[in-house]
Amino acid sequence: MNTSVIEISNLQLAFGLVFIILAGVLSLMHSLKLEKDLLIGTLRTFVQLLLLGFVLKFIFNIDRMWLVALVFVLMIFFAAWTIRGRVKERQVSYFWPVFLSMTAGYFLIAFMVTFVVIGVDPWWRPQYFIPLSGMVIGNSMNAMAISLERLLGDLRGRRQEIEMMLCLGADYKEASQGIFRDAMRAGMIPSINSMMAVGVVFIPGMMTGQILAGADPVSAIRYQIVVMVMLVGSTAIGSFLVLSLVRRRCFSPSQQLLLRQRHSS
Amino acid sequence: MRDNILEFKSVSFAYPGSKTLFEDASIAFEKGRFYVIAGPSGCGKSTFLRLINLLEASTSGEIRFKGRSVTAYDPTALRQSILYIQQVPQVVDGSVRDNLLLPFTFIRNKDIPRPDDSQLKALMQRLLLLDVDLDDSAKSLSTGQQQRICFIRGLLLSPEVVLLDEPTSALDADSCRMVQETAENLCQERGITVLMVSHREMETCSLESVCLTVAHGKVVPNAASLEKNEEPV
Repeated sequence: MNTSVIEISNLQLAFGLVFIILAGVLSLMHSLKLEKDLLIGTLRTFVQLLLLGFVLKFIFNIDRMWLVALVFVLMIFFAAWTIRGRVKERQVSYFWPVFLSMTAGYFLIAFMVTFVVIGVDPWWRPQYFIPLSGMVIGNSMNAMAISLERLLGDLRGRRQEIEMMLCLGADYKEASQGIFRDAMRAGMIPSINSMMAVGVVFIPGMMTGQILAGADPVSAIRYQIVVMVMLVGSTAIGSFLVLSLVRRRCFSPSQQLLLRQRHSS
Repeated sequence: MRDNILEFKSVSFAYPGSKTLFEDASIAFEKGRFYVIAGPSGCGKSTFLRLINLLEASTSGEIRFKGRSVTAYDPTALRQSILYIQQVPQVVDGSVRDNLLLPFTFIRNKDIPRPDDSQLKALMQRLLLLDVDLDDSAKSLSTGQQQRICFIRGLLLSPEVVLLDEPTSALDADSCRMVQETAENLCQERGITVLMVSHREMETCSLESVCLTVAHGKVVPNAASLEKNEEPV
């Protein structure tokens, strides 16, 4: 097997633009009005990824723990920011709970994987720690958004049921137990489903990348398995933490549900 | 003269970004009496009850239960003593028994003796739920039956005050009357204080009850009640 990587030259990279031109022509022919977006999207892809390449190269060369930690925190900050844009909620602020849950949960998982499972030395070696945590953050971010949306939506929609339990002496945790469980399940199900389908329905991107880069498919699979279980773990821990913190904020110390739909008379 | 069990002292309340519902409202409720609170729709009758069991927090002033501010109590303990029956009956998935025993799954109520089937049956008979079985699915019952189940469920916690929010829909007028009558009897037998929100003021205000009206942000004895109290009984 040829294990050397075929480098893509600048000229070859430019050939890739043919596909964009094709899409642009289609857009013009059918008045899709996507030409501008296509142009901006293409430019951003080139610029952002090239920048990322240089940044990663820089970080790998410097090889310092504080720099890895900084990148990790920044990635989480942007992920939390993205969720903020996705989950529409005005009454309860959840940015910091999301940020804290992600930092704690994902750090634990990334550390376990690099230190215990793969045994990287030192455990924060940027070549391992940054791509692995990037993958965890990118994937679990969606799970967290789904869980949060479900939690907030159900707390609003099932207000009467919650208040019924509060009226019978339940505390906020008891009154929202079912809703918490449903939200947790909603966040977990996609990552469990992808464990069911992986390798049969789709070949994951990371594995594809490793194989293209010349790695032995069996070794690539081992990494992929680690990533899959890592995703499930980080989804579970991240969702649990964020749901616990946000749910607490939805109730006052007097065990009143603060989220309102409309005023009762 | 009976002791006051509940007192409102200059209570004001407004929902965030909405008009004021109560302003400087002061009123006292005597232990063991039956109160009927009337007023036009949207005047804040339900909110008045919700303020008492702390589902809402008053913007200013103080509400006292047995001489102490309601906010000084543990909310779960307060709500067990001051029972609020919601306008729309709320039952969970499961049997009638599961629903009646739901409060006993909460930590707060773990020391309250759990009633057995015969006690539950007796209460159900009292509220004329004769053809309902403890194993029936609660969600399959009619709204009126569910309402009575919710009422029994609350009574099992032996409350001192019952806040009854009467359903707006006249779906099951018999059930409403039955719940009200039982509440009135309980008020007499066990000395429970009852505050009932009613939309049919004239029908519900019996001789023994005190009738109040919510108007202009205050809760005041209504004209009919004043006249009635002046007459020799």
